[in-house]
Amino acid sequence: MDAFTDLVRGYRERLLRFLLTRCASYADAEDALQDTLVNAFRYIGTYDPRWRFSTWLYRIAIRNAARQRQVEGIAADELRDESSDPLRACIAHDESENLWATARSVLNDDVFAAMWLRYAEDLSVGDIAKALDRSTSWTKVNLMRGRRSLEGAMNASAGNEEAYG
Amino acid sequence: MDKLASRLREDAANIEVRVSDELDRRITASLERVAAESRDTAPRMQGRPTFFWWASSLTGLAAAIAVIAILNIEEPPAPLSATPDNFVADLPVIDLRTETAMLAGPLQKELDALESDLRKAEERIRSDIGL
Repeated sequence: MDAFTDLVRGYRERLLRFLLTRCASYADAEDALQDTLVNAFRYIGTYDPRWRFSTWLYRIAIRNAARQRQVEGIAADELRDESSDPLRACIAHDESENLWATARSVLNDDVFAAMWLRYAEDLSVGDIAKALDRSTSWTKVNLMRGRRSLEGAMNASAGNEEAYG
Repeated sequence: MDKLASRLREDAANIEVRVSDELDRRITASLERVAAESRDTAPRMQGRPTFFWWASSLTGLAAAIAVIAILNIEEPPAPLSATPDNFVADLPVIDLRTETAMLAGPLQKELDALESDLRKAEERIRSDIGL
């Protein structure tokens, strides 16, 4: 168990940050993180070494968050409510404008997750597809669309002073 | 890396999250509980000595060899003869003559009647044509 704890110690904050984008509250994200690590420990024997370990963890995290939302009867759209969004609550402490807050507004749930895994976690397209249980072509197309939407929103809000893309 | 990608990476890193001490304790307690459950089930799997598997394998092999040997070495049963030697002696005795006479009696009467009718018909024809 100690070896597992050491192994996942470096992933805990990253997973918690990601789960804030998939859960309805900070407490729910903490619960989902706990469940994710427990499930990973319990089923470590089923881990396929052909995958990156982080991809496997994110896949478990995504499933746990979805299951939690299902149990609580929360739709994915409700997560983007600005007043109760745990991700925005964490971003609020940051003084500068955070692109992920904008991404939260303009991207749907799955595209946001794909963008997060690509640009925040540096996962490959294939790993993102596995983590989200989507095809590689879906992932490529939606990463492209997500980028365009985000660039459009950023350029519009910046008044074309700072061009992205 | 382009400008948008690097900005997204920086902004993600700027989102402040921290695993609290309380959450750390909860996670550790949950993992310990799962580890204890695993230990409870593990002895049942590991309790058998190594030679147990060898003994099981050898016993199975010996049983298989014994079955094969019995099936192949045992003499095949003698084929059943189509007709036993005492076939005639076992048959019941039937009075064939009596039975035949009883069965053929009505036919013989019929035959006699037909012959009589033929004779009468022949005589009538002879008288009609004047022979």
